[in-house]
Amino acid sequence: MSNKKILIVEDDADVRMGLHVRLKANNYDIFFAVDGFSSLTEARKHEPDLILLDLGLPAGDGFLVMDRIKAVPALAMIPIIVVSGRSGAANRERALKAGAKAFLEKPVDNAELLAVIRQALGEVVKRERPLVHDLGTL
Amino acid sequence: MRTRALKVLLVEDNAGDARLLREMFTTERPGSIELTHLMRLSEALAHLAKGGVDIVLLDMGLPDGHGLDTVRRVRAVAPDVPLIVLTGLDDELLAAEAMKEGAQDYLIKGQIENRALPRALRHAIERHRMQAETDHIRTNQLQFKDEFLSHVSHELRSPLTAIYQFVTILQDGLAGEVNPEQHQHLEIVLRNVKQLRAMINDLLEVTSVQAGKLLIRLERSSILDAITYTVDTLQGAARDKEITLTAATEGPLPDIWADPTRIRQILIILVDNAIKFTPPQGSVKVQARRWEIDPRFLVIEVADSGCGISADKTELIFERLFQVPDPAMAARKGLGLGLYICKELVSRQGGKIWASSVCGEGSNFSFILPVFSLSRLMAPAFVDHNHSESQITLVLTELGSRTGWLSEKVRADSSNWMRDVLQRCLNSKLDVLLPKMDSSGATELFVVAAVTDEIGGEAITKRIREKLRGSDEILRADLTFSTCYWTLPPVQRNVDESMESFAEKVVAKIQESIDERNSSRMVKI
Repeated sequence: MSNKKILIVEDDADVRMGLHVRLKANNYDIFFAVDGFSSLTEARKHEPDLILLDLGLPAGDGFLVMDRIKAVPALAMIPIIVVSGRSGAANRERALKAGAKAFLEKPVDNAELLAVIRQALGEVVKRERPLVHDLGTL
Repeated sequence: MRTRALKVLLVEDNAGDARLLREMFTTERPGSIELTHLMRLSEALAHLAKGGVDIVLLDMGLPDGHGLDTVRRVRAVAPDVPLIVLTGLDDELLAAEAMKEGAQDYLIKGQIENRALPRALRHAIERHRMQAETDHIRTNQLQFKDEFLSHVSHELRSPLTAIYQFVTILQDGLAGEVNPEQHQHLEIVLRNVKQLRAMINDLLEVTSVQAGKLLIRLERSSILDAITYTVDTLQGAARDKEITLTAATEGPLPDIWADPTRIRQILIILVDNAIKFTPPQGSVKVQARRWEIDPRFLVIEVADSGCGISADKTELIFERLFQVPDPAMAARKGLGLGLYICKELVSRQGGKIWASSVCGEGSNFSFILPVFSLSRLMAPAFVDHNHSESQITLVLTELGSRTGWLSEKVRADSSNWMRDVLQRCLNSKLDVLLPKMDSSGATELFVVAAVTDEIGGEAITKRIREKLRGSDEILRADLTFSTCYWTLPPVQRNVDESMESFAEKVVAKIQESIDERNSSRMVKI
């Protein structure tokens, strides 16, 4: 079976390389984007199985990236894990609301990061857009 | 230089005094002072509300206002207008009080020298201007400090991440063999990375505490769960130091009204501190019970057999940046923010925290949190409600899944945003979103108790329906919802009945009605 592909969207070169080494050692194929703008191009090009997304990015922050990716049908189902230096319940909720699978605060513990990645990759279930049902009053 | 006229408002009901004061301005250059004289406080307040007054001269004994109250009312209407109070000879103490309330100066009637009045006015205005400027600068500085701290803390995280990543890459041998000595050195780097991370988190937490941005979500929660979580989390750290960490509770404990995440945070800080300051072979014990002094609270205690705190420090330790002065005890373990954060978190949840200690024999940190009580939660809704009977309408919203079953995860995820959505559909003064129910089975239930009649109930139901229909969350998680309302028979309030006992009565009725409605489902709130 071929390796799963992960797109890392991160503007800090050192952090990017650190993630690269760690994830490559765990048999993932890695691609990079360094800003909000290129993340969409790279995602289209490689169609990754998972995206690791920083929030503070040049040329479109992480929230914007999520919005854009979720709007592209071919990419909308790719699980996104936010890994950010921003903290706080408000950011976390906003990210999860925007469709992130998980919100991790920097620096992320290696074991935790890998566990979250595995879980996200394992649970990708393609589902049709559901309908809303109002059952009316009881 | 031509300056515009100084607009003075004189509020004085004694015609003689007013005439004397007016005469004192006659030595001033014509056109430099524009005096408005009013006799009543009510007139003065109306005049001030229109704006355009540069300074107020206020007599503190008026037909419709007396003493400090006059000062407060003027300040309330015109907080930015400098104020001088006029008092009698024997009222100097009162005048001093007025200054504390925000008056810039006071003048004693009958003792004002001729040239002194205009000068006093100009000085008061100048003092007021400088005060305002200082306040402004201070506010700006505080805000800048908060933003600065928050910014710096965030920016520190990226380099810290890189250090962590590469240290662990080396440690795990991803870049080649590491000998035992090198491994040990890397371990030291890693320990310091963790310490830095904890400090940055504390800094951020404190910044949000001070900016009033601390998010606290009160809900019905179990203290036992929080204690178990804490003991499990820190058992490893305790074992490493050969410290016995145990938990004990007395009898069955009621639920508390608190934010479960924040309670865990408080306990982690306290137990972590206890482990740090207790020598090997010592013990740390977490206990919870009904508070003897007020049974409406639970008291939670973290007791250690450590070095203790001297009696004069037991209050100081909750201050920001306080560090234990003895360097041998403190080592270098943090910024001294943990207990300050605890204090803020506890008080924001309606509790209190304190410490007691015998130096050398260990410390005891206690905090209290309110026991969950539906009637206490409901009581504020009746405060502004002076009728002898209250009409209560219950609005029930049921969240289900198209698959017919709601998983634990979806239940937990949906609960928070559902509560936010519902909260936005309510009048926060009159309607209460009841705490989570132990609903089992296919659906999750949310109940709003509103102090309103049928028409109000229908309006709330409509709002909820509209909000949920357009909700992304409903779409994404493939959920279904239904919502309905019904009105309870009016509940009588006796003349001498306390708010709380009335609320209890109402709550019993609510419970009864929900039970009846859901007898097949066994819903308990």
